[in-house]
Amino acid sequence: MSAAFELRGLTAAVPGEKRAIRLVEDVSLSVHAGETLAVVGESGSGKTVTFTSSLGLLPKPGRVIAGEALLEGVDLLKLRPEELRRTRGARIGMVFQDPLTGLNPVFRVSEQITEVLRAHLPISRSAARDRAVELLTRVQIPEAARRVDDYPHQFSGGMRQRVLTAMAIALGPRVLIADEPTTALDVTVQAQMLDLLGDLRDADGMAMVLITHDLGVVARQADRVAVMYAGRIVETGTVAEVFAAPRHPYTISLFRSIPDIEAPTGTRLTPIAGSPPDPARRPEGCAFAPRCFAVSDAAGCRSVRPLLAGVGHAASCHRQSMLETTA
Amino acid sequence: MVFYIARCAGQFAVALVGIVTVAFFLMRAIPGDPALYMLGDFATPEALATLRARLGLDLPVWQQYGIFLARALQGDLGMSVVTGEPALAEILASVPSSASLAVAGMAIAIAVGVPLGVIAAVRQGSVVDVAVMLIALLGISFPVFWVGITAILLLSHALGLFPALGATSEPGFWKGLHHLALPALVLGLSVAAYIARLTRSAMLEVLGQDHIRVARAMGVPEWRIVWKLALRNALVPVLAVIGVTFAWSLGNAILVEAVFSRPGLGSTILKAVLARDYQLLQAGVLVLAAAVVLLNTVLDLLYGAIDPRLRQQ
Repeated sequence: MSAAFELRGLTAAVPGEKRAIRLVEDVSLSVHAGETLAVVGESGSGKTVTFTSSLGLLPKPGRVIAGEALLEGVDLLKLRPEELRRTRGARIGMVFQDPLTGLNPVFRVSEQITEVLRAHLPISRSAARDRAVELLTRVQIPEAARRVDDYPHQFSGGMRQRVLTAMAIALGPRVLIADEPTTALDVTVQAQMLDLLGDLRDADGMAMVLITHDLGVVARQADRVAVMYAGRIVETGTVAEVFAAPRHPYTISLFRSIPDIEAPTGTRLTPIAGSPPDPARRPEGCAFAPRCFAVSDAAGCRSVRPLLAGVGHAASCHRQSMLETTA
Repeated sequence: MVFYIARCAGQFAVALVGIVTVAFFLMRAIPGDPALYMLGDFATPEALATLRARLGLDLPVWQQYGIFLARALQGDLGMSVVTGEPALAEILASVPSSASLAVAGMAIAIAVGVPLGVIAAVRQGSVVDVAVMLIALLGISFPVFWVGITAILLLSHALGLFPALGATSEPGFWKGLHHLALPALVLGLSVAAYIARLTRSAMLEVLGQDHIRVARAMGVPEWRIVWKLALRNALVPVLAVIGVTFAWSLGNAILVEAVFSRPGLGSTILKAVLARDYQLLQAGVLVLAAAVVLLNTVLDLLYGAIDPRLRQQ
């Protein structure tokens, strides 16, 4: 089965003082219809940039300098601007992180959904409005027919994220990219939102990419996971594989840094020392080496950039063999 | 919405009383005795006392204020010292001419300034942007009377496109419009420069907001994003400044009227100042101030129409 959405060697950069600063480097991943791929990483690891740049939405002067972004086999990066516009929103939808700023404050919700529908379909305003009510009902907004003409500020954060989701699925896209869709929401609303996204994926057979920094969300929602660090994918595999036996030291550190409800009282969490490298000053070798607990000069951690190795469950670490034996 | 309109109307009424109050005390603050000025140096003490009594100047100030306020609210602002006609009527007679100049000027300012500002913002850093901003800077920097004189020399004297006089006694709408065109253009372009700069910065801010990125991700065409989704957001600060510039352009309208020998509020007020016709001047100031407050009230209502969040509370 071919992937609904696939990135091959995607590299995006912004011009720097001496040379281009690579925001994401050589990112390859794929997601199939009906499947959820979670992309995990700290802030600034390039999760969002990976997907905005593959949709041609990277703010200037950033641009993609290498790679392919294949939507059902068609490279989005090679489309002419008008073709890309027709594809965005219609065949690939995106839900962003902050629902409070994601809706236009001076237009009614019905007008905003209508705007999206009419950008792709030759339908009348009244038909578009009817469709907007259906969409709001689908994302479980109570009394959708009454609320469709409200303004964004009349909705709660969770309801606004539902409205944005309704816009993203309005044209029945094959791929839905959800960029931290629950980060800005109350904990009680987060689970509802995730369930909704899962239901929509199953009902339409969409391929879903879930960008998150929350490993709990990954375990709950995703089939496969890609861990990003400093603009690269450092480990990828099925959720079962990665959770059972993480192989990259960064992934291992991530698991150690989350609280365990069964740990004895008084047990301290293990934070990852240091902070992610500035994209303009990434280390020569492995980008994680300065923070790594298993770093070794003999293995070339500080001089040679490790490649993603392994079939299925893959990781980019010079010390993989050592880790496997000690795990 | 009804409550919002009522609140705006209430604010208008309060502001109007405030203006009348300020106008009253300003006039009282002018040094000198109006009765003495009106009758001249050779007036008898009896005549002075009679005139003071007639003008109410022998009463305590708070009583004078009460009478003035009560009369002003009935539309009675006293008589012109020079012509003996009711001051308010004389001022109101010159309003239509000035109002048509101000409205035409504002219409030109918005019609030119907003699109230029939007284009400059969309093409930020391009030659178009730099050119628009440079012209806008010049438009703001040159005083309106200089622009007016230059326009007369260039467009009416050298090219003969427009009449040099800003008004005509000949009847007919098109004739009037032909004479109005050049003064309105001169008045409008100076404000247009200001509006263009403001629209540009407001648009730049809005175009960087999340909801614009969302609209792009949903495949909304760029021209719809710019001219509909972003522009309506950017119009709120632009409207606010239109309110402020209106007061400023009323001042400019007086200069423009002088340059183009066009009758109107400006020339009437100028005449009142030169003749020390306090009553007429007071009426003129009141009408100007009321016009500014009225426009700002209308703009308040417009904000509510544009931005639903402002209708609340």
